[in-house]
Amino acid sequence: MIALEFQGVTKRYGRRTALNGLDLSVPVGSIFGLVGSNGAGKTTAMALAVGLLRLDSGAIDVLSQGAFHPGRQGGRVTLLPQDSRLPLHSRVGELLNYYGRLQGLTGKRLKRSVDEVLDWTHLQDRRESPVRTLSHGMMRRVTIAQAFLGEPDLILLDEPLSGLDPREQVRIREMLQLRRGHQTLLISSHNLHELEALCDQVAFVELGRRIRQDSLDAVIRRRHSLTVVLDGPLTLPGVALTEAIPGVQWTYDSTRSELTLVFPDEWTPARVNGTILPLLIDSECGILEVRLGSGLEREYLSATEPPKIPTGVQ
Amino acid sequence: MTRGGSVGQVAQQELADSIRSRRVWVFLLLYLAGSVAATILFLNILQKMETHLVSTLGLNPANEPGGVTATLWKSEAFQRMMTQLIGDRKLAESLLSIPPLALFWGWLCLTFGPLLVTLTSSVRIAEEVWTGSVRFVLFRTTRLTWVTGKFCGQAVQLLLAFLLSALGAWVVGAVRMNSFEPLPTALALLVFAMKAWVYGLAYLGLATAVSQMFASPNVASAMSFGVLIAVGMIHGAATFVKAVAWRPVLEVLDLLTPGGHRLDLWRPDASHLVPALVYLLVLAFGYLLVGHLVFRRRDL
Repeated sequence: MIALEFQGVTKRYGRRTALNGLDLSVPVGSIFGLVGSNGAGKTTAMALAVGLLRLDSGAIDVLSQGAFHPGRQGGRVTLLPQDSRLPLHSRVGELLNYYGRLQGLTGKRLKRSVDEVLDWTHLQDRRESPVRTLSHGMMRRVTIAQAFLGEPDLILLDEPLSGLDPREQVRIREMLQLRRGHQTLLISSHNLHELEALCDQVAFVELGRRIRQDSLDAVIRRRHSLTVVLDGPLTLPGVALTEAIPGVQWTYDSTRSELTLVFPDEWTPARVNGTILPLLIDSECGILEVRLGSGLEREYLSATEPPKIPTGVQ
Repeated sequence: MTRGGSVGQVAQQELADSIRSRRVWVFLLLYLAGSVAATILFLNILQKMETHLVSTLGLNPANEPGGVTATLWKSEAFQRMMTQLIGDRKLAESLLSIPPLALFWGWLCLTFGPLLVTLTSSVRIAEEVWTGSVRFVLFRTTRLTWVTGKFCGQAVQLLLAFLLSALGAWVVGAVRMNSFEPLPTALALLVFAMKAWVYGLAYLGLATAVSQMFASPNVASAMSFGVLIAVGMIHGAATFVKAVAWRPVLEVLDLLTPGGHRLDLWRPDASHLVPALVYLLVLAFGYLLVGHLVFRRRDL
């Protein structure tokens, strides 16, 4: 089941092409990460999905009901826009009630929903405060709260954690994870560690096109890859690695002191650990950390740029 | 929620937001202060004229303005003269049955109301597009519903402004006028307030239409004033330019401006007044929809 699908979507702003035949399929119940550089078209894609922008060509299917229209999918799809300002003179609670009513919530359901989102964004005590009196982080939390009113099926979040303090980032990230399987979340972010911690599907978008879309496990090769962070240079010869694990591909990023191993199907991460770590210790390489997978950041960079780090392939 | 319900929600929010932002208070005080100041000015001029008349004709002097005017207003000779001047007996009788204060206030509202509407309403939609706050709303309701709600919220604000302004004029009259008739004046002011409101709605439609077309509040404001001037020029040309070949075109264009229906608002008979009110309402929503033709296709 697909919650949101882009088929060959093109969007131009004058002469500039923001989206150039974008294809995207966001499965129902997934937490889907949209990764791309500035101007790649992530924000444009989200605004197109909810009808804030008009597409030039292609098609967008929202919740299997065709193109978005508030009369059809209103209340089932919400958006957290990136740089939009809330009405400064409205009070927080009143504003959320207004948004809730517009998306069809009434009576106890409305009250419960507003209470819930205020609770988990830690804004209950600011319910009566005018928006203009809130700090930047608090305003951001109000914008997050509005996106979760009424348990929508599809939530589009553009840089949801930017501007939040570390504690709130952790809290909101945990709350987002709880939505997995119940609601579909499309998250655009430049913080790839955040996406790696949250998402089960990712797509790389550059110059308005999809470069890659897959499950996070497949993208970072979680089942077939290990990253070892070393406390200094790699002193173990590469041949020792390829002799120990036949078929292994390895890369060493000297700037980060990260050794990444991609191993064949017959090897499990635990078996690779048991084989490689003693070799590294014997060659006096200090081991600081061992991670499953290659890392989203590394995969994104290698998918969008020519490789610059030395690579060893058997 | 039904479309009507959503329109009501948006209108309510628009009004509440205006009240909290103090914008509505500035708006209301502007109307009140303008109306009170103009009424005082009117009564001062009236008093001076009466004083001059009294000394010229050797009548009993009156300390407060309006006494001589009221007597004159009700005299048969003056009414006969006005009928001949206006050329329409019914209209003359109707105008002479209205207390002079209400008559002046009605003229004031019909003349300066559009300016104040343009001043306060032309930025409302453009402002929300500019700040991006519209992005929290337009996936929850349709663009037409939102725009209509905004219009309705502004319309309520406009009605409050006219009613407050009428109250201000009534109080000034009660304090300053010699032969003040409280009830007839209040009724006449109320009737004019309603007429001025419907007239103002047409200009509100115009301002809302322009506001839908531009993302920058400053540009929307400037363009609204431009449109206000253009509409005024069309009406002026239709009124004063008589002997030209394209006069029929001018007349049709005039019907598409609020000014083209202004004179009918002074007429007492329903056969003129009702069509004028209907025309003005149609124009208000017509302008709104023309603006919406652009707004519905816009990137927000």
